[in-house]
Amino acid sequence: MQLLKINRMIKNLFGSLCILLVISSCESDLPGFYEFEPYAYSSTDLAAGDWKPVLIADAGAFQLPDPAPAGSDAYKSELAELKSLSENPDAIQKDAIQYWNNDGLVRWNETICRLISKYNLPPAPNDDDSYGVPNAAAPDQYPYFPFAHPTYACRALAYMSGAHYDALISAWKLKSQFNRARHQTADPSIRLHLPASELPSYPAEGAVIAAVSEVMLSALFPLDKTEIQKLSAEHKNSLMWAGKHVKSDITAGDSLGRIIAAEFLKRAATDGMKNAQSPKAISDSIRQAAEARFGWYWKNLEDPERPVGITPLFGKVKPWFIPNVETVRPGPPPAIGSPEFIQAANELKDIQKNLTKKQRAIANFYADGIGTYSPPGHWNRIAAEKIVEARLSPVRAARIIAYMNYAIMDAGISCWDTKYFYYYPRPSQAIPGFKTILGIPNFPAYTSGHSTFSSAAGKVLSHFFPSAAAEFDAVTIEASLSRLYGGIHYRFDSEVGVTSGHLVAEYSVNRAKLDGAE
Amino acid sequence: MKIKRYILILFTLLLFKADIIKGQTPVDNLMMDAGAFCGAVTYTHDSWSKYWEGKLLRDNRNIGTLTRQTFMPMFALGLTKKINLLVAMPYVSTAPSAGQFIGQSGFQDLGVWLKARLINWETETGTLTLHGVAGASTPVTDYNKDYQPFSLGLGAKELSMRAILHYQLSNGIFVRGSFSGHVRDNIEIERDYYFTTEPVYSNQVDMPNAVMYGVQLGAWLFNNSFNIFGNFEGMNSLSGHDIRRQDMPFPSNKMNMTRAGLNLQYYTPFLKGLSLIASAGQVLSGRNMGKSAMVTGGLSYQFGIWNK
Repeated sequence: MQLLKINRMIKNLFGSLCILLVISSCESDLPGFYEFEPYAYSSTDLAAGDWKPVLIADAGAFQLPDPAPAGSDAYKSELAELKSLSENPDAIQKDAIQYWNNDGLVRWNETICRLISKYNLPPAPNDDDSYGVPNAAAPDQYPYFPFAHPTYACRALAYMSGAHYDALISAWKLKSQFNRARHQTADPSIRLHLPASELPSYPAEGAVIAAVSEVMLSALFPLDKTEIQKLSAEHKNSLMWAGKHVKSDITAGDSLGRIIAAEFLKRAATDGMKNAQSPKAISDSIRQAAEARFGWYWKNLEDPERPVGITPLFGKVKPWFIPNVETVRPGPPPAIGSPEFIQAANELKDIQKNLTKKQRAIANFYADGIGTYSPPGHWNRIAAEKIVEARLSPVRAARIIAYMNYAIMDAGISCWDTKYFYYYPRPSQAIPGFKTILGIPNFPAYTSGHSTFSSAAGKVLSHFFPSAAAEFDAVTIEASLSRLYGGIHYRFDSEVGVTSGHLVAEYSVNRAKLDGAE
Repeated sequence: MKIKRYILILFTLLLFKADIIKGQTPVDNLMMDAGAFCGAVTYTHDSWSKYWEGKLLRDNRNIGTLTRQTFMPMFALGLTKKINLLVAMPYVSTAPSAGQFIGQSGFQDLGVWLKARLINWETETGTLTLHGVAGASTPVTDYNKDYQPFSLGLGAKELSMRAILHYQLSNGIFVRGSFSGHVRDNIEIERDYYFTTEPVYSNQVDMPNAVMYGVQLGAWLFNNSFNIFGNFEGMNSLSGHDIRRQDMPFPSNKMNMTRAGLNLQYYTPFLKGLSLIASAGQVLSGRNMGKSAMVTGGLSYQFGIWNK
């Protein structure tokens, strides 16, 4: 009797425990991307074929085979294929249609941000206290290539979104040239699972974007090539499942995207990035030059010490729009120990001592440190949300993202030039006993990278979304102050960074004003 | 970038909760009588200089040794002969011995448990008891949870259910086994994008649930005034991700561990109801946690409020 009772009680107890665990194991399904409904474009920007591309000389230089004419047998069989593929998409296909939506531009932007987050990890020390350096020629050997730190990230974003933009200008030119009607015109019984648009359908803009992204990302993140190809294939397939494009639209878009992406890879191969992570001897000579000039120098305080900061020669990488780094280089920071320096150092000590919940939250919100999409990625996310809100066509959206990322990369080049020219110590080095809640980046303090990136991005976005300018300014200021709250920058690092980011961004905005889109 | 890897030892608290349950009900297979009150304070010093980054045991000279000190006031009340209430609220302080990260201190989580004796089966040779414990805990301060391993805790609200099966011979030797499930609510962090194995566009973090288990072998000696037992226990997260190479740890890491320890309790003859508590433990294996060694000292005092 007693045994039975024990048995029952154990069963009850464990039964309720199991129920508790089962109930709780229902995944809470947190969003892995920016969720929005596919939208109809506020304008198809049909004249975009005449806009001026940034890198390629002539948007009309790329030719595609003529599509099969309306009424031809070849076209009829393409329509039949489209009809069967779009008749009854299954659940996975429906998800893909919804996810990639009309053009997939925002999705590829998120994909590069995901890859940046995945690869934004510094090398771990070896047993003998040395550090390996990622090697593009052997990406799968630890430390894996790339280490997607902020300068790698800003450059990757600029090349991918720049290629998107130029390729879409070409695509629009060809769309006007061939003027192939949307396929529902020829066969109204073909189901369209996306909002309709009056854009000519050849070449498929989604396929252009997928191909550009696939080529650029495969080069930038070679270890993920297979997965990137899979995504690109799914994106292109979704255009047929959606009833939007026949195969020849997609093939044409794909080949156009590949040709133009190759032009961008050519520039990337010779822009100086491969020398940016300089060897120790060069890094030491840069430090010695700063020490001779100013009497101070920044030092990596990790144990074991990292022998070289992140990309000391990124300031020598070829910029997009600024004439050279000297033109935009700010003046020197206050001398260590000067009254201005002491005031800034005291401010940091005060902040740390009395850090409010709000200040801590701002420091964490804009931390954008290792394992994240970095400050440039943060701004791409902000831009994507504005683009969706304004229901922009992909060519107009790509224009905004491209000019923003060009400005961010130029800001990064200028900021890194400034950092390694002045070689200014971080607060944790210059203020005895100073500790932080944020990880200390492995490069000199002056000027703040986040502040420079942010003000450049905010300035470009303010040009394209003037009604939100105050919002972008507020984000810029908050992002720049977040570095003080986190204890990794002095106020002058942030303030001067904001000023020079604005200056750099003007070159990007001035270029945008001349490209015929406004 | 200056990065550190490390690990969180929040489970220390969870284990501690297990200890409370034992500690406050000094004779574990006996409940406190209705109206009995037990107040206790313990101090725990827990430190590690190596941690598991995923499954890789490593050191990190940018943390050095991470010390976590916990001062825990708690009380237990006999509601009835078969149901006891337990409450605890630890004050935690963390400090790395090296590197530039700043330590944290403050009150952590408030925990409340109801412990019920479900079975008490006496035979000629000994006594078998089964206890069930239901618990809930919630952070009491807005501590920085996205700051592992220096954070005061994981910051999650938690529900738990524990079963404790105890068999004791009439000569005082006992063996005990326990098993518990811990269900954690999402936590909210101060940024709206983070990367685990995939990106998450939210400030919510899906926290892994966990199971814990333990086996104890020991004895009540010297007229039931001295309790000694050896302890082997473990924790397994039911989900969560590994810390990637040279990444920062994160609250939703998959934290697993096993630990061995020795626990002592002595009821002084000087003051009825006063006991001294001491324990020591060493983590043996782990994943995404520190390989920590801990020692605890404390005292408890038990007296009747009603039903004296």
